[in-house]
Amino acid sequence: MNEANQLTAIVVDDEAHARALIREYLMQHADIKVLAECSNGFEAVKAAGDLKPDLLFLDIQMPKLDGFEVLDLIGHDAASVIFTTAYDEYALRAFNVHAVDYLLKPFGAERFDEALELARIRIRTRDALPIRELLDTHREGAAIDRVLIRDRSNVHVIPVEQIDYVEAQDDYVSIRAAGRSYLKEQTLGELEVQLAGKGFLRIHRRYILNVSRLAKIELSEKDSRIAILNDKTQLPISRSGYSKLRGLL
Amino acid sequence: MHPILANASKLGMYLLAYLPIGIVLVIGLGHRDAWGTAAAFFLPLTMLYAFIGLSAYYLCLAFPIDSDHPLWRAMPAHMCAAASVGALCVGAAWLWAAVLESLNIGLQPQVFVEQPWVLFVVGAVLFWLAIALHYVMIASSASQRSEQRALESGLLAREAELKALRAQIDPHFLFNSLNSISALTGSDPSAARKMCLLLADFLRDTLRLGATQRISVNEELSVVQRYLAIEQVRLGPRLTVNCTASEPARAGLVPALILQPLVENAVLHGIAHLLDGGTVTINAECRNGALQIRVSNPSDQARPRRKRPGLGLLLVRQRLQSEYGTAGQLHIRDEQHEFVADVSIPFATTEEPSNE
Repeated sequence: MNEANQLTAIVVDDEAHARALIREYLMQHADIKVLAECSNGFEAVKAAGDLKPDLLFLDIQMPKLDGFEVLDLIGHDAASVIFTTAYDEYALRAFNVHAVDYLLKPFGAERFDEALELARIRIRTRDALPIRELLDTHREGAAIDRVLIRDRSNVHVIPVEQIDYVEAQDDYVSIRAAGRSYLKEQTLGELEVQLAGKGFLRIHRRYILNVSRLAKIELSEKDSRIAILNDKTQLPISRSGYSKLRGLL
Repeated sequence: MHPILANASKLGMYLLAYLPIGIVLVIGLGHRDAWGTAAAFFLPLTMLYAFIGLSAYYLCLAFPIDSDHPLWRAMPAHMCAAASVGALCVGAAWLWAAVLESLNIGLQPQVFVEQPWVLFVVGAVLFWLAIALHYVMIASSASQRSEQRALESGLLAREAELKALRAQIDPHFLFNSLNSISALTGSDPSAARKMCLLLADFLRDTLRLGATQRISVNEELSVVQRYLAIEQVRLGPRLTVNCTASEPARAGLVPALILQPLVENAVLHGIAHLLDGGTVTINAECRNGALQIRVSNPSDQARPRRKRPGLGLLLVRQRLQSEYGTAGQLHIRDEQHEFVADVSIPFATTEEPSNE
């Protein structure tokens, strides 16, 4: 086996036996080198960022961050992924809708080899996983309770009620919460949909406001308005934003 | 709507039953040489009377007979009604006779109207008969309904039991356990065998106990501990268990497998979400004639709280309610770092005689 064909992998599962089993099955595959084992989502995000593996064995049910959240966070670093799960009808639905291969626990060596072969083909052809679509189907358009942000190898979990406002910055959004700003690679429109029904309003092309933070609305020159927040921050309000805000208040 | 009128085939049968009455009238009151006249007169009138007889239904509904309403209280109303119906019969007969006569087809029905008292008495007596039959009909349909209700509630109870049973064996638990066994067969065959046996014992328990009504706290705790032992194999050192019960509490009876969903909840929604795991604490005590069992576990404070308790907990509450009424309670406290479920039921060591 020459060096060029060597693939690197990370095994993510909160159960030690489950990780050991994957290692055992991998012993038959000399071309796969396991770089790390992770027992939770945080470790997985960090390891995926640091080690940039070709392949990820990813369990769905895990503490803190589940498999889908890990996927959300590693987004563009995402290697080819082989999902493993015991029983999760929502996850299975998402996989089936997007024709993504997965391993149902318990699985045998034959089925494992089959999934691995499919993964090898995907890696070779650089066939990207439909991450966004997968996440959307899994959430089924439901609003989110928390926003996950990856900051190098750290993961911040921000409950939505802690967010003051969100500002669009090119390909990123800047999320202001608890006196800090967090950058996340996401569009403002996407986040607006995810925060729907959680007390947030798009007041401007570039801003989403947590309405409970609004102290007052002031009229500035040339009949444009600005929102003054409880912490004295000033944000511009567009005309359509103002009519939405008035409808809400 | 009258139940007979609401159903075409019932109405047909009912009208057919009046035919013999009409024939008796024709034979009894008609003349040998004028059967045609008697038939043309009495048969339509009998059919009309059949419909008048249906009105007894509403009278019977308005004056039900039961332990609070003796029959004699309804008598005056029935008498008045019967008299009115008798008078109505005489009037209808008189009108019908006039109509037949005016048709000029050789019918001479006037002879029947010459004895109005006969018609009056026949109409009134038949109406009393109709009243009596309606009382019988109402009573039998009421008993049928109550029978049906009893059957339905029995079915509902059965269904709830089945649902509870299915919820007790969580598929997630089953498949994860099988995966642990599959993993252990390679690395630690004796541990795999132990896990198989634990799982078999646990499944046997749930199947056996699903059918029985009540078991002792002691027995219930041993089932729950078996479940926890299996989860300990899966979760490793992340799951620890602290199970205590006072000696008197151990003898107390609980509905079989009532704690199972609580413990499962503690593991799946509590411990499994903590990076370093934690301890599931179970405690059973007797206090003031009540058996109090608490299942608690540390929980992840960053995890979004569930707005409502899950299906498993709702079923526990439902079951306690149906078995003990207001005396059977489940209190849930979902706090920052801890989740606590408190079960409280009347303390008893022998099964009370069932009053069903």
